[in-house]
Amino acid sequence: MNTIIIDGLSFALPLFIMAIGGIYCERSGVTNLAIEGLQGFGAFCGALFAVCIAPYFAGDSPVPFYLAMVFAFLGGTLFSLLHAMLCIRFKANQVISGVVINILAMSLTEFMTKQINASIFKAASNKFVLGVSARVTVPGISSVPVLGAVFTNLYPFEPVIALIAVIAWYVLYRTPFGLHLRACGDNPHAVDAAGIEVGKVRLIAVLVSGALSGLGGICFAYSISANFSSNIYSGYGYLAIAALIFGNWKILPTLGACLLFGFARSGGYELVKILEMPSSYQDLVMVLPYVLTLLMLVFFGRKNHSPRALGVIYDKGAR
Amino acid sequence: MSDYIIEMNHITKRFPGIVANDDVSIQVKKGEIYALLGENGAGKSTLMSMLFGMYEPDEGEIIIRGEKVKIASPNHATRLNIGMVHQHFKLVSNYTIAENIVMGMEPVKKHFGIFKTLDQKRANEEIRALSEKFGLEVDPTKVIENINVSMQQRVEILKMLYREAEILIFDEPTAVLTPQEIEFLLEIIESLRRDGKTIILITHKLEEIKKIADRCAILCRGKLIDVLDVKETDTKTMANLMVGREVNFSVDKPEPEYGREILKVEHLTVQNEDKFEVVKDVSFSVRGGEIFAVAGVSGNGQVELADAVAGLLKPSGGSITLNGKDITHAAIRSRNLEGISYIPEDRQNVGLVMDLSLSDNLALKNYFMPPFSRGSVIAGEAFTRYSDELIEKYDIRSGQGSETVVRSMSGGNQQKAIIAREIELDSSLLIFVQPTRGLDIGAIENIHRQIVEQRNKGKAVLLISLELDEVMNLADTIGVIYNGRIEKIADAGTLTPGEVGEFMMGVGGRHEKA
Repeated sequence: MNTIIIDGLSFALPLFIMAIGGIYCERSGVTNLAIEGLQGFGAFCGALFAVCIAPYFAGDSPVPFYLAMVFAFLGGTLFSLLHAMLCIRFKANQVISGVVINILAMSLTEFMTKQINASIFKAASNKFVLGVSARVTVPGISSVPVLGAVFTNLYPFEPVIALIAVIAWYVLYRTPFGLHLRACGDNPHAVDAAGIEVGKVRLIAVLVSGALSGLGGICFAYSISANFSSNIYSGYGYLAIAALIFGNWKILPTLGACLLFGFARSGGYELVKILEMPSSYQDLVMVLPYVLTLLMLVFFGRKNHSPRALGVIYDKGAR
Repeated sequence: MSDYIIEMNHITKRFPGIVANDDVSIQVKKGEIYALLGENGAGKSTLMSMLFGMYEPDEGEIIIRGEKVKIASPNHATRLNIGMVHQHFKLVSNYTIAENIVMGMEPVKKHFGIFKTLDQKRANEEIRALSEKFGLEVDPTKVIENINVSMQQRVEILKMLYREAEILIFDEPTAVLTPQEIEFLLEIIESLRRDGKTIILITHKLEEIKKIADRCAILCRGKLIDVLDVKETDTKTMANLMVGREVNFSVDKPEPEYGREILKVEHLTVQNEDKFEVVKDVSFSVRGGEIFAVAGVSGNGQVELADAVAGLLKPSGGSITLNGKDITHAAIRSRNLEGISYIPEDRQNVGLVMDLSLSDNLALKNYFMPPFSRGSVIAGEAFTRYSDELIEKYDIRSGQGSETVVRSMSGGNQQKAIIAREIELDSSLLIFVQPTRGLDIGAIENIHRQIVEQRNKGKAVLLISLELDEVMNLADTIGVIYNGRIEKIADAGTLTPGEVGEFMMGVGGRHEKA
């Protein structure tokens, strides 16, 4: 039971932070299918920085990990600038832009990983080995039954994500900027008429999405895969999009969807273990979140409403 | 220093293919209600868009409070205390009224000196106070998508007032309102004037101008025709100046010559999306050469009735017969081919494909037949030839002729295009739903003439209108619908407008039964 909660959370939270980024972007009216690519590029930047500075720190130092998070954050932001440029400045089709960015991120980072490994580290490898970050247990509260599991064996990124999520919620729903952002996704003409620059608000929203996706990416790199390689592109970005759609583009319900995905996955692993099935069945468990996505599509697909102006290029003159 | 608050001198504005304003000069005094009168496409909205900073004039100057200004954007106009209520409201549908109004100038409260949040409570209080001051009756906590058009419009007014506008521009404010709501709006405008605001009213409705405006500038095809003192001018003169020729309000209509029965509706029952019966057991018939007008207050099932005959809604009971053939369950295209022309109420969503060209829209109901298609290949030149012919015949005005994207055309010309397309089908039955809604006098006159012309040719016409005048002017037979039932069917000559009005309210014929 505890393992399910511990592993479920460590999968759900990075997913959640990416989904929050997606919510920012889509609530501002910009479709974001690029989360997958953004998290990969962010993870690449963070991982590259981490392996570069690793020699200067002791093996168990947490500093490289935190610095990697910062750089993943910046890397994701930088890469999302591309999406913002295409969608806002050049009024390109937002779906195509997102898909292209995903493909570009994947091939670009794989190429660069190989080249950098060969030229700097003199090794023929297509991955940056990071290892799994050290985990912490909060003393005292972790011994509470069931609930305690939430505070047991935490990855250091989990509290960081929780903090950012709270701030993101507060900004989106309580501040004037959040009001402007959500209005841009419903009726940008009204925002424009109120004297606010739609393009600027959307630019910030896309960049936030890039930053948070990058953050989510490096968290996966430091936990599930323990390295950076093209394995990072295994669809978590798309899963985050599914989560925010089931969450009806709202932060709290999206958390629910992410937790569901996380627990489905960790619960499945546990089941494989209990039933003593061959380990190859674990791959089958990987499928669970996606099967769940399909099922939820059937039930939630019709009830949820996307932001009214989502994906519509803002044109001042249009009636 | 002049005593005018606004002066627009020698303004010229050109758009591709059209001169929207041609050397127009107007002067507005502080505290007056100044009306801009003109047909659709006369250049009223363009002129005001320049005052509000949405376009820049090609020539001419704008002087506000004695100072020459170049208004670069709506924000700049707002800083000059100019506000505008557009025809299409600019509201965020899932926000409260207060949130919509304060957006961009939010009252903010600080937590621990750093965290800024939107002060919802103060916003609500400020809006409520403003609403009470001008008698707007707006509850700031309601959400936009749950309130009606009239209240949405008042939200737009509050938006201007919240930004301390002194000069208020209203673009066709009454086009979307019911008669009671229009009364209310005019009262609000009066109270704004009492508070010292200057009001510019863009409209083509003469009665409203007569009722509240002080002066009235008349525009026709981009040119300023005259500026009149409203008290000293009668509506007939205004109408003639606006259209540029003598206007004929009444319709010349010869005695009807009825042919055979074309449309027969028996015990028709229609449900709406919520499975609620909106048309109940309705029976009537329309003969060739007859205009059958359905009169009724909005929302009594008349639109659903027309939709059911045209095939847009499936009837849940009863039958529809066209030229002796049962079409109750026929597909829409087979009804069209059988002889139904339909001019729907919702022009932009049902009547036209807004982003296609005029020529494509004009061929929308026969593109699959020769000469427009040969086999399964479309013949482009036939489209153009056909649409050029119709543009000429029906006087459809547009920037680039056949190639014009319909969205860029004015409402009146969009309606002309639909009517041209439907009449050219040469169907035995024509259904007109609210054919003149939102149109100006010249266009209304033209459409009425065409309806009568079709009737004289022996076509059956089913007319659905909320305007009692229109029903009384055109109908040979009147059917009054109330709460989904046809309450009364009679020869138009035997009913007075007052009697029809009573049936429309569901109280007609009470004394007969008693």
